[in-house]
Amino acid sequence: MPGSAPPAGGSLIRLSDIHKIYDSGASSVHALRGVSLGIQAGESIAIMGPSGSGKSTLMHILGCLDVPSRGEYRLAETLVSRLTPRELARVRNQRIGFVFQTYNLLPRASIVRNVELPMMYGGVGRAERHERALLALERVGLRGRALSLPAQLSGGQRQRVAIARALVNLPSILLADEPTGNLDSRTGLEIMALFEELNAQGHTIIVVTHDPRVASHARRVIRIVDGLVEDGSSSDPGVEPTA
Amino acid sequence: MTLGESIADGLAEIRAHALRTLLQTLGVVLGVASLVAVLGLVDAGRREAMAFFSEVGGLTKILVVNRPPREATVTARQLASDGLTWQDAQAIRREIPLVARVDPMAGVPLKVRHGDYLREQTVTGATPDFQAVYKFFPARGRFLIDDDLAASARVCVLGESAAREYFGNEDPLGATLFLGDVGFRVVGVMKRKEFYFNEGSDNALEWMNRMTLVPLTALYTRFTGDTQKHLAYINVLVDRIENNGRATEAVKALLHRRHGGVDDFEVWNRQEMLTRADEQGAMYKALFLTTGLVSLLVGGIVIMNIMLASFQERVREVGLRKALGARASDIAIQCLVEALLVTGLGGTAGLALGVGFAKAITALLDRPAVITPFMALAGIGASVATGLVFGLYPAVRAARLAPVEALRYE
Repeated sequence: MPGSAPPAGGSLIRLSDIHKIYDSGASSVHALRGVSLGIQAGESIAIMGPSGSGKSTLMHILGCLDVPSRGEYRLAETLVSRLTPRELARVRNQRIGFVFQTYNLLPRASIVRNVELPMMYGGVGRAERHERALLALERVGLRGRALSLPAQLSGGQRQRVAIARALVNLPSILLADEPTGNLDSRTGLEIMALFEELNAQGHTIIVVTHDPRVASHARRVIRIVDGLVEDGSSSDPGVEPTA
Repeated sequence: MTLGESIADGLAEIRAHALRTLLQTLGVVLGVASLVAVLGLVDAGRREAMAFFSEVGGLTKILVVNRPPREATVTARQLASDGLTWQDAQAIRREIPLVARVDPMAGVPLKVRHGDYLREQTVTGATPDFQAVYKFFPARGRFLIDDDLAASARVCVLGESAAREYFGNEDPLGATLFLGDVGFRVVGVMKRKEFYFNEGSDNALEWMNRMTLVPLTALYTRFTGDTQKHLAYINVLVDRIENNGRATEAVKALLHRRHGGVDDFEVWNRQEMLTRADEQGAMYKALFLTTGLVSLLVGGIVIMNIMLASFQERVREVGLRKALGARASDIAIQCLVEALLVTGLGGTAGLALGVGFAKAITALLDRPAVITPFMALAGIGASVATGLVFGLYPAVRAARLAPVEALRYE
């Protein structure tokens, strides 16, 4: 079971000299220019940077949605930068929980079915799937809305459903991309409080944001500027987080 | 994701876009309907022809009939020829080994009298082979036998309607029936023959029920005094259906020779007739099948088009599913299942519509139609194949989407 316990003798995540180059015909964009960093299990991290800085690209690579052009990425001792698309799908399914700015719930599926979706791709049986989805919904306080449709929920509630969905396969990391971007500030605070609570329970959380108020909830901030990690002191691989 | 879950998702998608699905699948519906209706009609026509033929001699029957000269002036040679004769029939039996049975017939109008009944009827002279050729068997008594023929016996056999007409409630068996002025003993009453091309139509075989049959030899000696022994026609049964063509040619050649080079006869090969009918049917079939297939093709293109169009709005969903761990194959299968569900539903609707078409045509034009399980399977199969072929490209495209691209799509 991919739990949130740190693998013995190393970081949960270790990036070494990651480059990402997008080729678009004549011009090529060097989105990441050699990012190296380590993340321990149980950390709470904010990745910040202006738009165009490469923070989204970094998030995609961390989330195994994309592969680096150069460099190595180890996730829980697996060299994921060498995996096939099919193996990457498995890693995304088992080790990574995504939370998106726009929630990305399936509009025609009930709340509980939305939460079941990662387990469907993970091959979990029907009964267990349902039970685990309901437990995950309970953790975000929405068990009572299990049979509602996404459209019947408020934005904050929808994001909590997305968080339940991200948690349901017990991933190694929870990866949130501007999770409060579509929410009013009070609801945004609620969501951040939920992340803090989950982090306190041992979940490793990485939030990508451009909002300093969101970033202030994280215990460590990684700034990306022009495809490089800006703050050298806190981004060296293996360095313990500064509380 | 299991197949069942893919199907459930596909059904939800279809339910959410009921109108779109309906439009999407219309081509398939009409295509399958046209396929099923045409197959049903053509097949029923053929079955009916076969059923009728098997009642009156089967497909191995060759019919030889007289053909009066068509020319205004008749040549001496034509006058010299006698037309079909008993000797011709015997020559066919003797000289053509492919022939299994020869059944010559002649008819003469005679006054038929019994008690108060008196009326002119056609009396048919036949041989014992008649009953085998026409599957015409006695209900009571017996049919004509070789001894009757040899002795020109004064015995007769009656069709069911004729027996009732002549004798009413009386028992005809053993009774005497006067044909002309000659008394004939009734030795058999035949089973009723019936064949209806359509519900409510006349019995196509009633002419057999109305028959008064005597030994062919008795017809000549007792009535016509015809020493040439002319015939109305000769039924020839060929031993095997593959030999029909050869036997037909052999009969023609033999009669041509026997008639001094005058073709005052015609030889009809029933298999040829059926083949001609089949060719005609095949033409209709080809026409409508082409229509159906074109319709399926257009239907398939429409399905692909709509899948590709709706694809744009589902790029994010594909991206999300991939982010959550869906493999390319999961996405491809989901798309294909959806296409197959749409065409499967279309095929089923088309099948129902096709049965409706066939029934309507039956009702309107008095043409029979049968829908066999094979046709149903062919219809559904064609529609599902359409879904498979035209769903493949959208499915592969969706499966190949890079998850990042898909999620980034606005």
